Amino acid sequence: METLERTGADEGAPGQPAASAGKGATPQTARPTKLYVKIAGGFVLALAMIYWAFVEEKIRSTLLTVIIAVAASGGIWIGANLLFNQVRSRWQMFNTIAFAVVGAVLGIVLHGNLVTIGSGSGFLTWVVGPLAGAASFGALGYVLARTDDPQQRRAIALGSSIVIGLVIGAVIRDTYQPGLDPVAIVVYTLVGIVIGAGLSLLLKHPPLGGALIGAALGWVLGAWGAADLGAGSIATSIIAALVPAVLIGLRLGMTKNPDYKARVAIDNRSRAVIFIGPALAFISVMLVIPAIRTAYLSLLNKDSTEFVGADNYKAVFDDKNSLDLANWTNMFTSVPFILGVILLVVALIVGISMKKRTGRAVEIGNPTVAPLVVGLLFVSFGAFTAMRGTLINNLWWVVVVTFVSTAMGLAIAVLADQRGGERVAKSVIFMPMAISLVGASVIWRFVYTARDTSTEQTGVLNALWIGLGRLSTGSGLPTIIATIFLVLVLVGLFMVMARMLVRYGPGRAVVPGIMIVLVGWLFIRFTGIVGGGVGGFQTLPDGTTVGQTVFFVQETPYNNFWLMIVMIWIQTGFSMVILSAAIKAVPTELIEAAKIDGATTSQVFWRVTLPQIATTIGVVVTTLIVGVMKVFDIVKVMTNGQFGSQVLANQMFQEAFSFQNKGKGAALAILIFLAVLPVMIYNIRRMQRES
Amino acid sequence: MSATTTTLSGTGQPGPSSAGQSSGIIDRAYQFLRRIPTGVLWLIVVVWSIPTLGLFVNSFRDRDAQRATGWWKVKPSELTIDNYDTIFGARAGLGRSLLNSAAIAIPATIIPIAIAAFAAYGFAWIPFRGRKTLFIATVALLAIPLQVALIPLLQMFVGGASVTLPLLEKTVVLIPDFDLAGTTTSAWLTHTGFAMPFAIFLLHNYISSLPKDLFEAARIDGADHFTIFWRLVLPLSIPVLAAFAIFQFLWTWNDYLIANTMIGANASQQPTTILIANLAGDFGRNEYILPAGAFVQAFIPLVVFFALQRYFVRGLLAGSVKG
Repeated sequence: METLERTGADEGAPGQPAASAGKGATPQTARPTKLYVKIAGGFVLALAMIYWAFVEEKIRSTLLTVIIAVAASGGIWIGANLLFNQVRSRWQMFNTIAFAVVGAVLGIVLHGNLVTIGSGSGFLTWVVGPLAGAASFGALGYVLARTDDPQQRRAIALGSSIVIGLVIGAVIRDTYQPGLDPVAIVVYTLVGIVIGAGLSLLLKHPPLGGALIGAALGWVLGAWGAADLGAGSIATSIIAALVPAVLIGLRLGMTKNPDYKARVAIDNRSRAVIFIGPALAFISVMLVIPAIRTAYLSLLNKDSTEFVGADNYKAVFDDKNSLDLANWTNMFTSVPFILGVILLVVALIVGISMKKRTGRAVEIGNPTVAPLVVGLLFVSFGAFTAMRGTLINNLWWVVVVTFVSTAMGLAIAVLADQRGGERVAKSVIFMPMAISLVGASVIWRFVYTARDTSTEQTGVLNALWIGLGRLSTGSGLPTIIATIFLVLVLVGLFMVMARMLVRYGPGRAVVPGIMIVLVGWLFIRFTGIVGGGVGGFQTLPDGTTVGQTVFFVQETPYNNFWLMIVMIWIQTGFSMVILSAAIKAVPTELIEAAKIDGATTSQVFWRVTLPQIATTIGVVVTTLIVGVMKVFDIVKVMTNGQFGSQVLANQMFQEAFSFQNKGKGAALAILIFLAVLPVMIYNIRRMQRES
Repeated sequence: MSATTTTLSGTGQPGPSSAGQSSGIIDRAYQFLRRIPTGVLWLIVVVWSIPTLGLFVNSFRDRDAQRATGWWKVKPSELTIDNYDTIFGARAGLGRSLLNSAAIAIPATIIPIAIAAFAAYGFAWIPFRGRKTLFIATVALLAIPLQVALIPLLQMFVGGASVTLPLLEKTVVLIPDFDLAGTTTSAWLTHTGFAMPFAIFLLHNYISSLPKDLFEAARIDGADHFTIFWRLVLPLSIPVLAAFAIFQFLWTWNDYLIANTMIGANASQQPTTILIANLAGDFGRNEYILPAGAFVQAFIPLVVFFALQRYFVRGLLAGSVKG
């Protein structure tokens, strides 16, 4: 409780690294009242919740299920812990109880499934079987733990296992007596022996013990699992039960009572299973085994009745909707591509001059980087708009969302750092993280709304766009003001460039230069020097201009980009928080030292801060890639994959659950998995390096 | 506008050291430009909040007002809460779907915490062979896309799971059909499984960084693993448990993919996300109640988020930065 309060108190702003326990305590005396208010508030809230839960049947039944499930599994878990608490100091007690538990479980399984004579309806039958099992096995455990003489142990184990096997075989109901199938028994027993011995060898134990257990399990599987139940006699059921019992008895007789060191080892090993087992069970059942099965299903046909090899994968890649490279030459004429090439040329020129001056063409923080990165982004943008298909869309999503979210998050983190209102600004930008992707899609749907131009626009973006068109093509006072404003911005940018040129040389003038080109282009278009103006308008044949909306969600291929904006809106907050924390964690001494050496603010950022947070950027990028690869909700809600905006996850959902094509759906899921596999491997490498 | 003073008051930023050399107007413009970052920051903040603000305003306007003008032209006279009335009404059924959302999110938050805390403690403080490998394998599953498990999981919930023994043509039922298809139970069970790698990773980061002396002292006093976990680790880990709880609650409350797969068309068990998505699906007809619905759906996570932002951020950081 104290830790909670302490770490709660010393974190003012969001974005401070997690505090681990054991930090120096800060004085808590300042606000006991606030604490009491909080506690009281929490109490009232809890009461309200309980009341609500009681009134609403749905919540009540769910809570009841949860409580029962938690109590039952918690009871078992705590019981197991208490049992293994005895291992170190009270071996005899532990052995007795452990054997009794095994016996009870066996009794429950046999008696509860009505396999044995005497079982049936009624409360007592649920007690008799387990009790008998517990008593007999418990006695065996007690006796075994008492003696250390190997010969005695062997005799006791073998004798009692024979008795137990005989009794179990004898009390099996005749409807369950197995008709033995010798081939199955031999095959399964042999398989069991091989597996058991192999596992033992793998764990560096002598193979005999594992072979005995494996043989027993194989025998059970072959004699009972494979058999025709009810076709046998009392003799067959005794054979089927006696042999595995004897095999296990032999195995038990082999061991001796463990000394203290061995008991500690048992304690640790069993604790590992008790503590980690439940989680691993959930992961296996819910994640690992289904994933393996999906890989298998992807090789079968649509209703999983026939093996088709790689046909599903071939179908995905042959489909024009997945991958359409026919118009790839179009990218050379697309505006982003040309802009990108221009930027790359700029980068080349700057790079050559930087190489002459500093010896390095590209370096973090030098002027080559900005045009190079933005140019590459634009070129890829142009390429993605020319080549179409689901796979291309996914790639486009990954490139744009990952890059823009990381860059924006970093920019905001830097901008907000130690500025007034940092907390508020960061909270607002972080807020979309709390909204569901479905909710975000709905929100942005209203931003993108396009309505008939005869009525007023209700979507913000179209209203702005048509407003801009009206401003640009109009001739009133607002147009003049806007023109003057643009001129002022241009002049200002020129001044900055001039200053940069005079002060720092051509390198620092690149960014303002690019901005001048962009704003100048906007100015030329806006004033109608080239073309008729910018914005949403359309000139009719009779010379009048009317508004024209953009169908953000419907117009291929750029609708993809407008959908990405939704994801960027959400993920920027994520990268901002993490990068902001990383920036704050950069040691101040480093920054102070750089400043004393005469570095400017931007030099400090590029040369000191950025290298320090490089690993964190890597983490953000990988997390984003994984998140974006499986984007589903946005596309599903906004377009459902229509208008050329399909992505793998949505197509997978459609194929598997709407069109009932399990094979192709599974193949698409595996493709998503393969796409994130490099990230997984990278993460594993990183963790191995760290630990 | 001639050369006047070169140092400007009120900018709060000291001028460059060589300020005296160039003419005043460029310096003055430069000083102005230095304030742009703050302006840009707040511009971004405004742009970021406009979409949500628009939704919020529109949720209080009736159908005709929403269709006639943009939300920025809202008049006080047209504000109404009719949309909320409609959406909570029997036909839209938002109330029931909120209950379903809670029925998924509550167990899917509570149960993984316990299981993952055990496992995190086990991985951190119980020595056994292959611990590191097993831990890395578990945590590597963090990046696995859920899609990979969905088809077999749905099949399991619909018909149980069974294997056919080789050679014998005999089918052994591994998991019986519990009749979970299309229920909230199947959704939270799935969430529990999928949350496990992240939960273990997050809690392990914290629990493994607890001071070693603590455990040694407890061991010397004769405490066993169970006691140490129960009396020492659990109380110390409450902050990180809270962080994970918030994380998981937001994630399960906002989830659409798993709910849509496991529950899908079963209207009586649908959580709010499916309801909203369906409303958005039938174009035009119900568009006017969509803002209200979306806002109600977002309300609970937003409250949780703003009230407990500190823990949320902590979870986020522990989950990614420490890697």
